[in-house]
Amino acid sequence: MSYAGKSIKRLYDDKFVTGRSTYVDDIKVNSLYAGFVRSNVPHGRIKKVNKEDALKIRGVVAVLTGEEINQLIKEGIGPWTTYVDPRPWKIPLWRFAQGETKYNGEPIAMVLAQDKYTARDAVEAVSVDLEPLDAVIDLQEAKKDKILVHKELGTNYGFVGNFNAGDADKALASSDRRVEVEISNERLIPSPMEPRGIVSHYDGNLTIWYSTQIPHFARAEFSRIFGIPESKIRVIMPDVGGGFGSKAHILPEELAVIAASIRLGRAVRWTATRTEEMMATNSRHNVFKGEIGFKSDGTLTAIKGTLDVELGAYLTYTEGIQPTIIPPMIPGPYKVRDLMIKSQAIYTNTIPITMYRGASRPEATFIIERIMSTVADELKMDDVEVRMRNLIREDQIPYTNPFGLKYDSGDYQTLLKEGVKVLEYHEMKRWASQERAKGRKVGVGLAYYLEICGFGPYEFAETRINRDGSVIVSIGGTPHGQGTETAIAQLVADELQIPIERIKVTWGDSDTVPIGLGTYGSRTLATAGSAAISSSKQVLDKMRRVAARVMNADVEEIDYRNGEFIHKKEGRKVSWDVIAREAYGGKEPGLSASVVLEGDVTFPYGVHMAIVEVDDYGIARVIEYRAYDDIGRVINPALAEGQIHGGGTQAVGQALYELATINENGQLAVTYADYYVPTAVEAPKFKSYFAEKYHPSAYLTKSKGVGEAALIVGPAAIIRALEDATGKKLNKTPALPEDILQ
Amino acid sequence: MKVKVNGVEYEDEVEPRTLLVDFLRDNLNLTGTKIGCDTTTCGACTVLVNGRSVKSCTMLAIQANGKEILTIEGLSSDSKLNPIQQAFKDNFALQCGYCTAGMIVQAHFILSHERDLSEEKVRDMIHGNICRCTGYQNIVNAILDASRRMRA
Ligand code: FES
Ligand code: FES
Repeated sequence: MSYAGKSIKRLYDDKFVTGRSTYVDDIKVNSLYAGFVRSNVPHGRIKKVNKEDALKIRGVVAVLTGEEINQLIKEGIGPWTTYVDPRPWKIPLWRFAQGETKYNGEPIAMVLAQDKYTARDAVEAVSVDLEPLDAVIDLQEAKKDKILVHKELGTNYGFVGNFNAGDADKALASSDRRVEVEISNERLIPSPMEPRGIVSHYDGNLTIWYSTQIPHFARAEFSRIFGIPESKIRVIMPDVGGGFGSKAHILPEELAVIAASIRLGRAVRWTATRTEEMMATNSRHNVFKGEIGFKSDGTLTAIKGTLDVELGAYLTYTEGIQPTIIPPMIPGPYKVRDLMIKSQAIYTNTIPITMYRGASRPEATFIIERIMSTVADELKMDDVEVRMRNLIREDQIPYTNPFGLKYDSGDYQTLLKEGVKVLEYHEMKRWASQERAKGRKVGVGLAYYLEICGFGPYEFAETRINRDGSVIVSIGGTPHGQGTETAIAQLVADELQIPIERIKVTWGDSDTVPIGLGTYGSRTLATAGSAAISSSKQVLDKMRRVAARVMNADVEEIDYRNGEFIHKKEGRKVSWDVIAREAYGGKEPGLSASVVLEGDVTFPYGVHMAIVEVDDYGIARVIEYRAYDDIGRVINPALAEGQIHGGGTQAVGQALYELATINENGQLAVTYADYYVPTAVEAPKFKSYFAEKYHPSAYLTKSKGVGEAALIVGPAAIIRALEDATGKKLNKTPALPEDILQ
Repeated sequence: MKVKVNGVEYEDEVEPRTLLVDFLRDNLNLTGTKIGCDTTTCGACTVLVNGRSVKSCTMLAIQANGKEILTIEGLSSDSKLNPIQQAFKDNFALQCGYCTAGMIVQAHFILSHERDLSEEKVRDMIHGNICRCTGYQNIVNAILDASRRMRA
């Protein structure tokens, strides 16, 4: 009986396929509905909020402005200090808009009504006197510091950091060739299918149902922001309809809902409409501009340049990560050691930027893979050959990259060699060139990646065996669709040698799980899974002690196998269920163990390949997507593959279709109908393979993480395929028909 | 207004502007049908009205007066999944589950009308239903699998 390594069916699917799932909006609490009046200018002075008409509508309970809401919001939204050092940052106070609005779409008043239709009526009935002020929308314009988003900061630069290693100038000077590069990712929108939502109830204690990836961090943040002890705040994460990083940050709307529930003593709820959701979670938008040096044999010798990262009007909880993680990840799996990267984050009067699947590693990977392909093109070398020449060798691992990141395990060159075979790269390249000769615009491209996941600093798990022998595992990771809870049940079932049906996994309630970091950065299986293995081992030890007592033996005399405790010499057996019951009867009662496990980053890697076709109108489609990854030990192949499919489809969106256009008024100029999230028609066919001779991580699970891989490397592979198909140079995402045709 | 939803008759008063999806979710407490957008784009709210597949965020509740509606809750009894639901489960055709009700209702619609399904055809017929998680391949596989099961 062994579960790990098999595609065990997901444990909790019945409720989803029958419609009995419970997302925030499905929760029945007698509550008021919130609605938000929003700014229609990118920067403006709020002169007056006219509430009277709204308050006359039957069913409207209150209209609140920043003045009232901010009396309860004591501290502003700040950066995620677990991963971002706030000291070098210039951070404006970010609460509910008061006096001024800093971006188009910013909420400037809140209405509360008996039902959601009335709330919408009330939003329309509120009028705001807004005096437009000078605004800066464009990132490059903002760098001039002529118009300031926040006067009090004296600059639009939120962060400037120098990431220097070796001597890039010297390395450039002695390179055979030097080439200038500009590589960018435009603004896009994560778009989980369930929009954000929150229900807040206050009765002296705060109970908050929240569509989030980070319930415990949210509790800590709410505690800091409202000045209420964490013990009085309970954050419950119900079923969550996707997150992709966008539900790991906090919005002023959500703070306003909590503030209103405290102020009115009533439960208050808000579910974002899709339009609001699109305004809440803009992501990416950064540009790398610089110069690279390389030798005639294809060895990359130096990278020098500037990375501009857009912040939007405020520093969100998560966006601080990007300017500090992209630069140290730029060397990726390659040997280059001379780099000089200036990283700067810039405020503009636009929707604040948050994070999206992969956060930083997609950008770093796109930059370094575009650089590799540039070297290949300049020297007319094959893509694989260039990468092979630059990849870190197996005998150099563990390898400390020039910025101090320690790559734990792997064999990058062998994986590329195998990958090229498994993905049939050369065959497909040949096929594409034959097809092109016949007039069809098809192309094949590959890209390589090395990423970081398994983020610590720690994770929690508890294994509790009930009186009847059934098991509850509580985890600090908070899966929201990945199916990780099933993989963790597999690990625990193996550890305890009992049927998986006897195990239930729970998460996402800050009152029942003492502590947890949540799910993001592909960390959950490695961190929460390892903690669960560890707590299960401890509980089993305790059961052995109980078994010894029951059998009048020493612990050393007791063996355990497949649900039975066995006296080694005498062969007597006592069942799991009997021991569980005994444990709740006699001395030293109870059977539970909890573990807070320290964690450290892991480095999965792999090679992905895309096959694209372009029509006469410049519209591109990815016909097929293939992936070969080393993610350490694969606990549930079907779940891992599912992550490749999902991430790969998002990569298709990022590379070809998804663009969150902001117009000159700072307004989001797309709706969901013309923000092209791939449908089944644009989504490719997938082939996903995992390296069998895996290079495990140091975690007990031996796994690394796979959730973001395909979105980290996919855009680079797809753009490369597009170049192959069209003969154009394309250095940004998305590559739109106009880029392809011009 | 009067409607029959999943075989049960309901009589209720609604504001003329109430959308069908809100009527189902708020008045009848049938929250299996989800809301994903306000642009008739995502298909999370798909239900059948008199056997036709409809995005219930695009229809007024009163337009359903006198009609028969099938929602995800009407596809199975508590004890047994229907073949499409089982196929979704077996093929890992869901992740976060938010699009799933709409997908399954749409799949039910497709399978009750089309006998000869190809992968391309399935992709075409679910292209009004967005899934952000699964990459669709497993959903397509599930629908083809369900089609085989239902013919067997
Ligand atoms: S909610 Fe009806 S189509 Fe999106
Ligand atoms: S499973 Fe999440 S949207 Fe489809």
